[in-house]
Amino acid sequence: MDWLAGTWAVFRKDLRIELRNRYGINTLLLFVLGTLLLVLFAVGPQPLSARVQSALLWIAMLFAASLGLGRSFVAEAEGGTVLLLRLNTRPSMVFVGKLLFNMLLVGGLTLFATGAFLFLLDISVRTPGLLAAALGLGTIGLAVATTLLAALVARAARRGPLLPVLLLPLLVPLLVSGTSATRKAFVGRSWLQAQDELLTLLGFAGATLSAAVILFDYLWEE
Amino acid sequence: MARSSPSPVVNHRLYRLVRATVAVLLTGVILAGFLGRIPELDILEQSARNLYFHVPMWFTLMGATIVSAYHSLRYLQCGDRLRDLRAREAAWLGLIFGILGIITGMVWARFTWYEGTGKWWNFDPKQSMAAVLLLIYGAYFVLRDSIEEPDTRGRIAAVYNLFAVVTMPFLLYIIPRQLPSLHPGGEGSPAFSQTDLAPAMRWVFYPSVLGFLGLFWLLYTQRVRLAWIRDQLRDTPDL
Repeated sequence: MDWLAGTWAVFRKDLRIELRNRYGINTLLLFVLGTLLLVLFAVGPQPLSARVQSALLWIAMLFAASLGLGRSFVAEAEGGTVLLLRLNTRPSMVFVGKLLFNMLLVGGLTLFATGAFLFLLDISVRTPGLLAAALGLGTIGLAVATTLLAALVARAARRGPLLPVLLLPLLVPLLVSGTSATRKAFVGRSWLQAQDELLTLLGFAGATLSAAVILFDYLWEE
Repeated sequence: MARSSPSPVVNHRLYRLVRATVAVLLTGVILAGFLGRIPELDILEQSARNLYFHVPMWFTLMGATIVSAYHSLRYLQCGDRLRDLRAREAAWLGLIFGILGIITGMVWARFTWYEGTGKWWNFDPKQSMAAVLLLIYGAYFVLRDSIEEPDTRGRIAAVYNLFAVVTMPFLLYIIPRQLPSLHPGGEGSPAFSQTDLAPAMRWVFYPSVLGFLGLFWLLYTQRVRLAWIRDQLRDTPDL
């Protein structure tokens, strides 16, 4: 099968299954909304500094992704469709197809979480372009790392809360750079002043994507 | 997949030679490190002696990380179970040396950077990122424990190890250099410039690095042999 066509087919399959019952997206959105509200109630009505605001946003997103995206490969194992996929497609098609789907999910999650966050806390972003760039690059890195580790956890016998344990330490560079770039966007720094963070996010996304595409073959083949 | 694992043989004479060298070097380093003369500098004062212990421990951790990643890569290529054992033992020793390094670093930071504040931990970027590195290796062992079947376990653990190694440069080199830090090597400056190390201290520091790397090699080869024997015994319980 043509690589692009195969990848697209895997993506469309996941999207169609998701649209049938909307379990994944609803869980993610409710989780992130619940976390944000919980944090805001706990903190109280006084204004927060930009540093705390950006940290809260990123932590809510990281936890939502690490808990919500774990299903993408477990669902295949439970539904007994792994063999079918393995017979009909190459590993990289499955990985990139699933990755595209997860990126769509994380992208939607990011938009929703950021929108709710900015609305609830009444933050006016001084450099919206910088915020969009930081969140966009962060979304890619987050989706790549989560997709690979979700495939990895699907092979483990005792799953439980394994995915967050494996994922969160690996995402610390993403968290540090993303939080810092978001804070700079909130307080209105220019693009040049956030170039370190943006380059780190770009490098993280690139490095994890290359490694994940290569390593996925070893997870997928028996 | 090839499963032939010949016993991990270590040359006896080489082993004895390294063992004797390590014993002499580390004894010398401990004596010279605590009793020798060091340049009197402000703030650092006597705590500069920690250079002989803290820095070689981190070098050993880096070495262990590389050894572990190399054997994980080889395991994915050939599936020889001994490679998996080697990767595991190197990661384990990396964790041990990392814990030692972080403890010595905490002591050093307490009596230089945070002198007078009474703080042991103040979220210096290098310190925090080092703690995250230890968390990653902790997660590696949790992952190993979650899988029963040895071949699957080896493969999954190797993939995690290699994926973690890809993110480690960000953790250890890129992020700490972008943040304000008191640690040498922060904000773009390399940790060991010409001015950092007094000539008199080189005579203790270099042997110490060699001694700790040698100690790692001794522990590593012995632990690999032990792990291999345990692995063989589990496969043939009546042996």
